[in-house]
Amino acid sequence: MPFNHKPQKFNAKINTVTIGSGDKTVTFGGDSTFPFYSFDAPAENTPKVGVEISDMGLEGFSAGIKAYYEGAETMGDIAKKAAAMEGADFLALTLEGGDPNGANKSIDELLAVVKEVAEAVDCPLVVEGCKNVEKDAELLPKVCEVLQGRNVLILSEKEENYKAIGAAAGLAYDQIVGAESAVDINLAKQLNVVTTQLGVNAQKIVMNIGSAAVGYGYEYVVSTMDRIKGAALSQNDNMLQMPIITPVSTETWGVKEAMASEADMPEWGSQDERGIDMEIMTAAADLAAGSDAVILRHPQSVATISKMIKALA
Amino acid sequence: MYKVTFAFEDGSVVEAFANEGDNLLEVARGANVAIDAPCSGNASCGKCRVQLKSGELNSKKTLHISDEEYQAGWRLSCTSTVCADVTVLVPDIASAYKSRMKVADLSSKEEIAIFENAKRDIQFSGIELKNSLEIVEVTMDPPSLDDTMPDNERLVRALRKFLNIKRIRIPYAVLRKLPDVLRENDFAVKCVLRTTSDDMFVYDIFGKDEEVIAGGLAIDIGTTTVSAVLINMDNGEILAKGSAGNGQIRYGADVINRIIESQKPGGKKKLQDAVIKETINPMIHEMCKNAKFPKTQIYRMCVAANTTMNHLFAGINADPLRMEPYIPAFFKTNSLFASDVGIDINPDAHIIVAPNIGSYVGGDITAGTLVSEIWNRPEFSLFIDLGTNGELVFGNSDFMMSCACSAGPAFEGGDISCGMRATDGAIEACTIDKETMEPTFKVVGEPGTKPIGLCGSGIIDVISELFMCEIINPKGKFIREGKRVRHDKYGMGSYVLAFEDEAGSVKDIEITEVDIDNFIRAKGAIFSAIRTMLSSLDFDVSMIDDVYVAGGIGSGINMKNAVNIGMFPDIPLEKFHYIGNSSLTGAYLMLLSTPAERKTYELASNMTYMELSTVPVYMDEFVGACFIPHTDTTMFPTVMEEIQSR
Repeated sequence: MPFNHKPQKFNAKINTVTIGSGDKTVTFGGDSTFPFYSFDAPAENTPKVGVEISDMGLEGFSAGIKAYYEGAETMGDIAKKAAAMEGADFLALTLEGGDPNGANKSIDELLAVVKEVAEAVDCPLVVEGCKNVEKDAELLPKVCEVLQGRNVLILSEKEENYKAIGAAAGLAYDQIVGAESAVDINLAKQLNVVTTQLGVNAQKIVMNIGSAAVGYGYEYVVSTMDRIKGAALSQNDNMLQMPIITPVSTETWGVKEAMASEADMPEWGSQDERGIDMEIMTAAADLAAGSDAVILRHPQSVATISKMIKALA
Repeated sequence: MYKVTFAFEDGSVVEAFANEGDNLLEVARGANVAIDAPCSGNASCGKCRVQLKSGELNSKKTLHISDEEYQAGWRLSCTSTVCADVTVLVPDIASAYKSRMKVADLSSKEEIAIFENAKRDIQFSGIELKNSLEIVEVTMDPPSLDDTMPDNERLVRALRKFLNIKRIRIPYAVLRKLPDVLRENDFAVKCVLRTTSDDMFVYDIFGKDEEVIAGGLAIDIGTTTVSAVLINMDNGEILAKGSAGNGQIRYGADVINRIIESQKPGGKKKLQDAVIKETINPMIHEMCKNAKFPKTQIYRMCVAANTTMNHLFAGINADPLRMEPYIPAFFKTNSLFASDVGIDINPDAHIIVAPNIGSYVGGDITAGTLVSEIWNRPEFSLFIDLGTNGELVFGNSDFMMSCACSAGPAFEGGDISCGMRATDGAIEACTIDKETMEPTFKVVGEPGTKPIGLCGSGIIDVISELFMCEIINPKGKFIREGKRVRHDKYGMGSYVLAFEDEAGSVKDIEITEVDIDNFIRAKGAIFSAIRTMLSSLDFDVSMIDDVYVAGGIGSGINMKNAVNIGMFPDIPLEKFHYIGNSSLTGAYLMLLSTPAERKTYELASNMTYMELSTVPVYMDEFVGACFIPHTDTTMFPTVMEEIQSR
């Protein structure tokens, strides 16, 4: 019997959301098939890869990453090198130094970093807060203000602070709202509903449905992403049709496989290699499960994942 | 020793003595002063607040008391210790849970109708209303020097002639009065008997001309409320009706806290006493006084209660109920007698216990299932009992499934800052004007009663109205501002239903975001249990033909509003029926009719129990349901339509 190809057609598609300004933009989403199912319908858009840099400079980065940035003195230099990385589509600046339980940098200090990075590069930008919901509620609206006109993606508003961040990013300063929930399809949808009820345009929202490093309860991430894509496409649920961005590096570089030194774990081999492996495995799985963009740290991971996307799309 | 004076809003006072460092809540409990402490004194619920009038207290500050309130003397009694002579005001809301016991010789027409209808329906389904109690007249030959048989054998002989039963038992209570009754009445007497095919038990003996009624007591022991009816066992006539708060409440609002409390030394006895000596016996006393009925003439009793309550009632270790694999000591038992547990009725009275199905689906549900008669129809019905636990039964004449979900005490007013049971002063219904945001409400009690809190049906109405008027969003957070919407210094919003001067209490009646959040979780638990159970059978909510709602949530739950907030599925409203306290009605039927009792045992053994905690999709359903009306709005088309049109 000859093979009879029956494409799985959906009458729905993932929203397209563009970040960046001028001729330097990048677009997330747009697919009407499950990830990389190019045999069902041609992909309209391919997943994107971002490079993560931090306001803390190179502190805590692995030797391999530090080597790549060698010679970079200022945040501006780091941003330029990151943007020039092979396979990079956008830059993701995290303001982790703002965490009151960490370096607790003032909002003005952080805004100075944001401005410096924004002036150094003209590529599309994603700005991540410090993860503390109260501090982010103050910090991120200010970030939206200083980056007016750059059309950046703000990560993230959460259930606890969606009013402040959603309103600033989505209404006052016309940026893109990143809606973060904790690996649960219903919570993801609930946040999108209340955000749109604030008046934010659903076409200006990107979801971060939460992530984990592979091996660390990661099955939940796959299941959640898969069901979100399923509901968005097969049930045409417009409160779940936002593209998904997944910050991978913050998860994978914090687990013991990436952190244990070679002196402690000689049998595990090169520490840098392990970190790259974790980052690539997690990112590949995220993309296969439904992420429209991933954020990575190591130049080798960025290159590998962007090559994988080209090969599969 | 210091003197602690508890003053009440009505002017009365209770005095107690305490040592330095004694916890104020404990002192209050010891002095029988009712202060609601659903969290058992963990400083987490904030309901045990009292106002310091004079003297001193050593109090830890908590989040529940604002700076201004602290200045005004407000303290949580659970975090306060005695350090000097002190006078505190106990506000009504703190003691309202322990409603004054309500007893009526003849309840309202509607309530009587519930029992009459239940009787009619059960007969209609082919179950006879007969029981084994009967009153017979017996005449004996008086003894003589030629006939020297002792009194008890004389009675046995006469009864045997009369009924031809081999085994006849005369208990001590009857033997004690036998010689007098026989001689005072020339050996012509009336006996109250229980007869089965091969056994006869003589409960009581009276003179031939006395008017004798054999009494029975049906009782529903809820986690929060206990209610009972005193009946004539011959025809089912209701002689008196009573209800009261369960005295165990001061040991915790939910069954888990009570079980934990019962594990402390002397705990089983303490909890048994709280429900029997402090709650049921006084209620029996009041009911009998009201109906002018002797307590010893209550010869049978039927208890319908959840599994934990019937264990604690019987004084049986309930600890295995709360621990995996959740095994109760009994599902069904017929070995309980009034004298065993200290119920103040005829000591030989047998206590029928409505059978349990699982550790969290108890006799209250089997009794309710009997009443709902979902077992007698080919159509699919859903029976929901809204209590501290929400229990569901779904099925028809071919099969039945049951499950329980933990809804928390929210439906009975617990876990809600201004929550209370449906007693005098409770707001039981409410509407809000969309433009002005002004509320209009109906209060339980005499006309003109000022509101002091919210009961379950009132909370449903308020949340539904707040949502439909777009004052709160689907997460239960305030999105409109106005005179009645406030935010505290932590940013928590609240809606004021009655300002202090409009209310019958010393503080504003308001509903906060935390209250709404608690209630959303309660309603989410109910809805997700419905969905999980139906989808496990591959059923959809549209296949439900009838929904029977039971529980002491308020005299009338507004079904439309309950659908609006996503507690019940969005199906035509005419399918919903409120059947009141079906646990009590079921106990009444089991008491009155032995075939109904047997039917209930049969129902219990034919019901499949589903343990929701082992169903993986339940948590997913639950999170989806913790949104008003639901994360998936396509399940609530008529609600969405109404929001559009408002």
